[in-house]
Amino acid sequence: MMLNEPTAPATFQLPEQMSTFAGDVDWLYYFLYWMSVVLFVGIIGAMVYFAWKYRERPGHKATPTGHNLPLEISWTVAPIIILVFLFHKGFQGYMDEAVAPADAMQIHVNAKQWGWEFVYPNGGSDNELHVPVHKPIKLILDSSDVIHSFFVPALRVKRDVVPGVYSSIWFEATHVGKDDIMCAEYCGGRSKDAAGNELPFAQQTGHWSMHSMLHVETEDEFTKYLMSIGDKCAMYTAKGQPCPNNVLAEQGQKIYVKKACVGCHTTNGAKLVGPSWKGIWGKTESTDHGPMKVDENYVRKSILDPSFRIIDGYQPIMPSFQGQISDQEIDEIIAYIKSLKD
Amino acid sequence: MADVHDASVAAAAPSGHAHDHHPGFLKHHFDTPVQQFSAAKLGMWVFIATEILMFGGLFCAYAIWRAQDPQVFDQAHHFLNKTMGASNTVVLLFSSFTAALAVRSSQLGKRNQTSMYLIVTILCACVFLVIKYFEYAHKFHLGLLPGHCFGHPELSAAIQNGEPVGTCLRVHANETSSMPLWVKAVDESGHVQLLPPRANMFFALYFCMTGLHAVHVIVGMSILGWVLYKNVKGTFSKEYFTPVDLGALYWHLVDLVWIYLFPLLYLVGKPE
Amino acid sequence: MAAVDIPVAGGHTADAHGDPHANYLKASHGIRSWLLTLDHKRIGLMYLTMVALAFLMGGTFALLIRIELFSRGETIIDGETYNRFFTLHGAIMVFLFIIPSVPAALGNFFLPIMIGAKDVAFPRLNLLSFYIYLLGVVVVLTSIIMGSVDTGWTFYTPYSVQTSNSVISMTLGVFILGFSSILTGLNFLVTTHTMRAPGITWTRLPLFVWGMYATSLIQVLATPVLAITLLLLCAERFFGIGIFDPKLGGDPVLFQHFFWFYSHPAVYIMIVPGMAVVSELIATFSRRAVFGYFAIAMSSIGLAVLGFLVWGHHLFVAGMSEFATMLFSALTFLVAIPSGVKVFNWTATIYKGSVVWASPMLYAMAFIFLFTIGGLTGLFLGTLSTDVHLTDTYFVVAHFHYVMMGGTVIGFLGGLLYWWPKMTGKMHDEFKAKIGFWFVFIGFNVTFGSQFIMGSRGMPRRYYDYLPQFEPFHRASTIGSWILAVGLFTTAYTLLEALWKGKRAPRNPWGSAGYEWMTDTPPCLANFHEPPVITRGPYDYHLCTPEDLATGWDEVEQPAKNAKKDKKD
Repeated sequence: MMLNEPTAPATFQLPEQMSTFAGDVDWLYYFLYWMSVVLFVGIIGAMVYFAWKYRERPGHKATPTGHNLPLEISWTVAPIIILVFLFHKGFQGYMDEAVAPADAMQIHVNAKQWGWEFVYPNGGSDNELHVPVHKPIKLILDSSDVIHSFFVPALRVKRDVVPGVYSSIWFEATHVGKDDIMCAEYCGGRSKDAAGNELPFAQQTGHWSMHSMLHVETEDEFTKYLMSIGDKCAMYTAKGQPCPNNVLAEQGQKIYVKKACVGCHTTNGAKLVGPSWKGIWGKTESTDHGPMKVDENYVRKSILDPSFRIIDGYQPIMPSFQGQISDQEIDEIIAYIKSLKD
Repeated sequence: MADVHDASVAAAAPSGHAHDHHPGFLKHHFDTPVQQFSAAKLGMWVFIATEILMFGGLFCAYAIWRAQDPQVFDQAHHFLNKTMGASNTVVLLFSSFTAALAVRSSQLGKRNQTSMYLIVTILCACVFLVIKYFEYAHKFHLGLLPGHCFGHPELSAAIQNGEPVGTCLRVHANETSSMPLWVKAVDESGHVQLLPPRANMFFALYFCMTGLHAVHVIVGMSILGWVLYKNVKGTFSKEYFTPVDLGALYWHLVDLVWIYLFPLLYLVGKPE
Repeated sequence: MAAVDIPVAGGHTADAHGDPHANYLKASHGIRSWLLTLDHKRIGLMYLTMVALAFLMGGTFALLIRIELFSRGETIIDGETYNRFFTLHGAIMVFLFIIPSVPAALGNFFLPIMIGAKDVAFPRLNLLSFYIYLLGVVVVLTSIIMGSVDTGWTFYTPYSVQTSNSVISMTLGVFILGFSSILTGLNFLVTTHTMRAPGITWTRLPLFVWGMYATSLIQVLATPVLAITLLLLCAERFFGIGIFDPKLGGDPVLFQHFFWFYSHPAVYIMIVPGMAVVSELIATFSRRAVFGYFAIAMSSIGLAVLGFLVWGHHLFVAGMSEFATMLFSALTFLVAIPSGVKVFNWTATIYKGSVVWASPMLYAMAFIFLFTIGGLTGLFLGTLSTDVHLTDTYFVVAHFHYVMMGGTVIGFLGGLLYWWPKMTGKMHDEFKAKIGFWFVFIGFNVTFGSQFIMGSRGMPRRYYDYLPQFEPFHRASTIGSWILAVGLFTTAYTLLEALWKGKRAPRNPWGSAGYEWMTDTPPCLANFHEPPVITRGPYDYHLCTPEDLATGWDEVEQPAKNAKKDKKD
């Protein structure tokens, strides 16, 4: 089998199979499907046939209802046998998904309103999930706010992501390709800006827009990918040199997207629910506690304790990133904002 | 409406009412007083079952948290005043006794005695609520409150200034990173204890369970008050005392819930 | 009106509520006689009016949702409004419409008559139930006007604790509605136990009554748990007690356990009454006793009991232990058995009957068709490994609409058409009813059949917007919803038209052996002129005399024919 062909292609009812357990899940699905078709045709066929054959017409009389205990017992017991089988297979498949192999590569997944962040073993992070093919991957999931759910149809995998708990799932992808990652637990949405005006569709975000992509890649592609998201400053700090501002700013732009700052702050001057970063560096803004200069301290404090100063015209709704952002990442954001000074 | 009808039936009796064996308290959709009484009794028991299920949810939550955090629960329960709790238990048990006596005297047709017993029962309920008030006030003072309010020093000050409880929460609403504090205070047996923020869960359950129970005490008092009113008006007799019976039954439920609450909250746990 | 005794023929007297022998609709007049009525039949009609309005409201939200989903992107409403609309659709349909529907409207009307009683055990409590329901509706409407919730009808924490919309007022409204449900259930249980006429033993109880009894058991035992769950949610929001907040030592998944402990039995509150109606319809329109009476009666009780043990199947991917998921999966399969037994028994009832394809029978057969699909797809969800793929997708949405709407609503409509003549004294136009039926049946299958496929292909629930590959399915589903709407409006029109232009109905227009057809059409105020004496079962067609089963159409149509003849002469 070629590396980039699915174990089984998409059918009318099911997406392509992309994981090692998809095959078993689909087998059980089709067993259920055909069993249902047979039972349905049998029962409804009988019902319609009887209703027609025994329709009221002159000369036809109903026969008084009798009893048939053996019949009643058999159609109570026979389904039990099928159901025990279904239960057994279903539980088996579920247990396969529950227990990850010991050598699985761990990737950390963070869900928040409204986006995903994936943190890789080398510390680099991204908004999309890349994994090497034919290797067991264990995802450690956590949420920053409300319950979300990590869902990848082609892998046949789904798990609720609950705040305050780490949950985990694992999978092994069977071929190179892509699939959608979606949130499957309703988590709200936002359609209006700070002033209560409706936002254009493209800027509305919520449960439906928590979309990401799964990329299954070859070993080489994956290694290259890891390097690209890794810490670019590392090669400077390894030599004892300070990281140049343009590198910091480039990293900062990635953080801007990864940590979902883009959901509330634009970089082109447009007002959303938060102030735009364009040209804000070094300005003195009017806040609820008097005038405030936008400098390193202000940006840092706004990230860790946003309610300490609210710029006039905005609501105090920014969540704190305390514990979710490193000092390095804050420096990168600061560098990025500086670079938007125009 | 029923009283008007009863009076009209009584008035119509001499003028050839077709059912002059039909007692005034028997509703028209019932055939016999026995049927009416059985229906009423069954209805009350079904209602009691629903109340047990409602409290059951809270007992379930208690069981789950106690299993998860036994040390915190053992520590926290020392802050509950066993003496006040025990007094409340005695008061409620006594009130159940007087409620049962009220049913007995109503069965015997002794109206004044019934009223007396009902009044004593209601007074016991008042005593219960007063003791509860003192318990709650002490908790507020120490900051032993659920959730974000646990250990909050501003709250006790706010309560003493007459501000609403919501103040504590609004203070915390914008401080997304602030956590409940630890509480260091002297417990009911004189030991200084340091309670971790997790102990707020014990107090959340304490207030929810005893609070819901107190609501039921008030409801029970109202029901018994209404029964007392009807009794004074002369509605009940040897043949018809159903509301007294059912009112007392409800009161027994209120008592029974407390009998479970008291040991689980106040008594269970390691000694000092 | 003064409570004066008016001697009336038969030795009974009229009371403040009217002459017990008069048609219940005419026994007393004026709006006060309705608003303060103690007559279970009038209370049933008032409930019917309210649930019909609730269905209209919930259905409007559904149509708007489907219009929005017709195309990708914003079609008619923004994302936040969409979130509110699907929440309201669910909450209104579940709490204001479907839970009261059959029990409060049809159950209230027919339970006492079917057991030969004059009324329910506690008529004033019955009226109080109705007013508590109204109060709940008012509070829910207020909540909607004040900004309305966007949490989904399931109110999952932590989102429901954090969202800035009117969660407390909506949950209080639902809390109040819960009391109405509990009191109705209490009334039905006591009535069935203590007020059966002589001769109506437990083994001669109509299956509709068995169904109401089982439903009442669930209402009384499950709803209090919803009450405490909602109170805890309000306490969490208002006081911040922390029971569902992980930062304070609480557990958001605990809310799901509490919520589904009620809400799973609640779905049996919804379906068992629908099944109860179907048993009556199948018997009458096959002219035959229901096959396996005891099994059907016991399966209703079985559903009530087993329904309490399976709530965890809503939490298979939420984070329960594998042991718990295994247990709940096994129990879920067990609860499938009683439903299957009913379907087999109904089919066996039609066998060798004398089948009348009247509109109520079409609905009964549609129920079997649609409920079978709904039930079989439930197996996909009870199976653990397939559930992981299918849960929280449109597959679940299709499944529950097939059982709740394809089941209960279809049963409710069938019951309305069947008992409309008995309740109103007027016969509806069967032709229009059948047209309405076909639009409903076809429209329903198009709307929700396409959703099964969407779900298994990976379309998640509660999505305002979706990936391009799902658009054809969404379009088909929306078009189906329009066909369905035409059918529902046609059926509603048919029923309402009957009130004005319908023929006067004879006592037993369908020729049924059921006990309710033994009394007047419409019934007199006291239901029966004399206490009924029952010597046969409600489906014993072979023990009925021709008079028992006489429809009386000849008497209705004869005067009309005579009038025509006279005109000709």
